Amino acid sequence: MKKRNIILTISCIALLALFIWYADGSFDSYQKRILNLCAIYVILGLSMNLINGFTGLFSLGHAGFMAVGAYTTALLTMTPESKAATFFLEPIAAPLANITMPFFMALLLGGLLSAFVAFLIGAPTLRLKGDYLAIATLGFSEIIRIIFTNTQNITNGPLGLKSIPNFTNLWWSFGTMIFTLVVMIALINSSYGKAFKAIREDEIAAESMGINLFQHKVMSFVIGAFFAGIGGGLLGNLLGAINPMMFRFILTFNVLLIIVLGGMGSVTGTVISAFVVTSGLEYLRVLDESINLGFIKFEGIAGLRMVVFSTLLMIVVIFFRNGLMGTKEFGWDKFFNFFNRRPFSKKGVGQ
Amino acid sequence: MTLLKTDHITMRFGGLTAVKEFNLEINKGEIVALIGPNGAGKTTAFNMITGVYRPTEGQIFFNNQEITGLKSHDITKRGMARTFQNIRLFKELSVLDNVFIANHLHLKANLLQAVGGKMYPDFLDKLWQPKYKREEKEILEKSYMLLEKVGLLDQKDEKATSLPYGLQRKLEIARALATNPQLLLLDEPAAGMNPKETNDLTGFIRQIREDFDLTIFLIEHHMQVVMDISDRIYVLDYGITIAEGNPYEIQNNQRVVEAYLGVSEDA
Repeated sequence: MKKRNIILTISCIALLALFIWYADGSFDSYQKRILNLCAIYVILGLSMNLINGFTGLFSLGHAGFMAVGAYTTALLTMTPESKAATFFLEPIAAPLANITMPFFMALLLGGLLSAFVAFLIGAPTLRLKGDYLAIATLGFSEIIRIIFTNTQNITNGPLGLKSIPNFTNLWWSFGTMIFTLVVMIALINSSYGKAFKAIREDEIAAESMGINLFQHKVMSFVIGAFFAGIGGGLLGNLLGAINPMMFRFILTFNVLLIIVLGGMGSVTGTVISAFVVTSGLEYLRVLDESINLGFIKFEGIAGLRMVVFSTLLMIVVIFFRNGLMGTKEFGWDKFFNFFNRRPFSKKGVGQ
Repeated sequence: MTLLKTDHITMRFGGLTAVKEFNLEINKGEIVALIGPNGAGKTTAFNMITGVYRPTEGQIFFNNQEITGLKSHDITKRGMARTFQNIRLFKELSVLDNVFIANHLHLKANLLQAVGGKMYPDFLDKLWQPKYKREEKEILEKSYMLLEKVGLLDQKDEKATSLPYGLQRKLEIARALATNPQLLLLDEPAAGMNPKETNDLTGFIRQIREDFDLTIFLIEHHMQVVMDISDRIYVLDYGITIAEGNPYEIQNNQRVVEAYLGVSEDA
């Protein structure tokens, strides 16, 4: 990285930290929650984009990985007392009952376990291609959810977990978001990331150039699942209560919506789109309620805001097939080039 | 010294025998051509050798090691690279990235070292440089060298598909060369080229053979190129090897002429 770009990036992060410090003190809990969700969806979007956008694997198993991360983190951070209170139908399995560890360790373990599950799922399914892979991963994600619904003494079954300590705050979510961003950008610009993109472009050519397809696909899948697990862990400890019904296909769809709108294969597109979609889903709640314009009164229709997003998705797919950014990125070099080559600037006319 | 040898390789797709008992022997440093009418099984033979298909029968030896049934990426690692009949570049990626990616198989840094190395700021390089960054610099230098060789250095940041057809072919060759091959397989390198580009191609192939110490095996329909460049020629027709020899022998072989032009009525 160039020195100028590093300085600019660090100052941006400093500005963001300043903003978080301000927001942490003076925003109300509703606004803070939306900001937290935005950051978490950035993490989820990036992790899914690595698999779907950069490596070109059409995987729909994200909710499953998030569930693994969320449950692991939640179970490892809950106090023994709250565990005893939550598991009233059937007591929790012995070793889990007394384990409580710091949030960081729990998040990391959640991510690692999710990555491990992805490894187990990836080994058979990544031999499939296209829609077959989509169906198989979707199936596995549902299997994970069904298992969680039925393992009463580990996950408390359909009742879910309650009184999970609210460790996730703006610092945690935005800190993890920045970490994910930095790792993802470094990864996709490295030789490995370029190999991922080569697989997306042409599998046969990539293999002929000596890239071990299966090994690299598993790599991308496992890294994606690791960050999905961390995102899930943050989400669980933000909401304070989780149950298996949360991790249905609709959750995968929300993340997919973000990466399709932002551009499959664009990190910056994912970040922008995650903020727009997540805050949009909250602020468009107005549409679900009844609107009184004075002379006319609309009855509220529950779920109307989802119609807005479905329409938006349709428009994007028809008219902007590559989403907001396509595979392009926004970066400091581009930013300065944009100002340097304005046609009416003296430089442009003079030459 | 024999570099590539196939021993009675046969490929059947259901009831169709695409290639039957093909015996090939290529010595180090040779330029060998494989010709034949459309549908003769030339590309199938290529695909068996490069590991896209597993031959139904027979064995393939490369550098005296058996490579039958190995995966493409394994075979490429052992020193065999190819181009494709219908160009298969990484379309949306830049010209430079296309060549860069072909170096990936020789990368020694693991995933963590690569990600860590990418995060390491440039201005600290004087103190200590991560392993991955050193490797990446070498790869970049090699890629620039290859692009210069094929005359694409000026277009290095352009999208691969934005290049004209002839240059896309050259980029494919540069990409194949980046894998450090001993044997280069070219599938119809002159296809779609105009007469001038075709003329240049012969010189270009000879040039890279000298510069990279290569052995070349090519499929080509353009007879002028084939006769001009090849040391030896194999002729396939309906999957069967009907002739083998130097260009002079092939030009005067009755069966080859028949395969291409048909048998005359009164013969």
